[in-house]
Amino acid sequence: MAIKILLGVLLTGVVIAGFGFPMSAAPQTWYELPVIPGLEDKARIIFFHVPTAWLSVVAFITSMLYAIQYLRKREAIDDIKSSAAAGLGFMFCILATLTGAVWAKFNWGSYWNWDPRETSIFVLLLIYGAYFSLRSAVEVEEKRATLASVYSIIAAVTSPFFIFIMPRIMTGLHPGAKGDPEGAGPVIEFKMSPNMRVIFFTSLIAFTLLFYWMFTLRVRAARLEAHHHSGG
Amino acid sequence: MDFLAQHQLYIVMIIVLAIWLGLYLYLFRLDRRLKKLEERSQK
Repeated sequence: MAIKILLGVLLTGVVIAGFGFPMSAAPQTWYELPVIPGLEDKARIIFFHVPTAWLSVVAFITSMLYAIQYLRKREAIDDIKSSAAAGLGFMFCILATLTGAVWAKFNWGSYWNWDPRETSIFVLLLIYGAYFSLRSAVEVEEKRATLASVYSIIAAVTSPFFIFIMPRIMTGLHPGAKGDPEGAGPVIEFKMSPNMRVIFFTSLIAFTLLFYWMFTLRVRAARLEAHHHSGG
Repeated sequence: MDFLAQHQLYIVMIIVLAIWLGLYLYLFRLDRRLKKLEERSQK
């Protein structure tokens, strides 16, 4: 219960601060955000776009951990948890792609530019898309759980390469790409001021809590479903 | 109203707040409904 209320307070605060705090060329007070040339009000998107991408990482790692647990203990609940986490991760991955595409249109001129990070999230969507086709292709429950668990582990092991390594060693449009000295993007210099950082990290925490809540809801629903099917 | 007409970003903020609070309440109700189902299935 405390987590849910904390989530409500944090994310409401992030929305109010993220949209409501005025931007100023020379911030004087603690709540004024600096204007980033080239981004202006669009800089506010970062408070919502990055957390969706972050959540997909959290979710895919969660999926991998429960997959390992399943292979060790062979309990159906771990497979339910693993697939619930992968499902949420996939959803947030799509949200990161969509919010990024809209942002890219207005900062980079096109919805899709095949920037290294765009390419890597596309590959990630394919990898996890295949996870769900694998699941739906196998009828036998135990076999499905075992195959899906192995696949989830392999997928999560390859994903850091696409999320953390490839976009950093190649030149691209996102901040943090190669040839980018200190967080300053090759296209637009993006440095967060301390108050932006507070909103940003609060948002990451709030989104993580949201993920946790949605994850438990999904697991509970799936557990009830399994209970119902077994006639218990 | 004049204030909102001049500061349009606050209109966006109100819309996003409304959507977030709506989703939040929805999750709360879903949580409670699941709890009831769980209690029923345990009996």
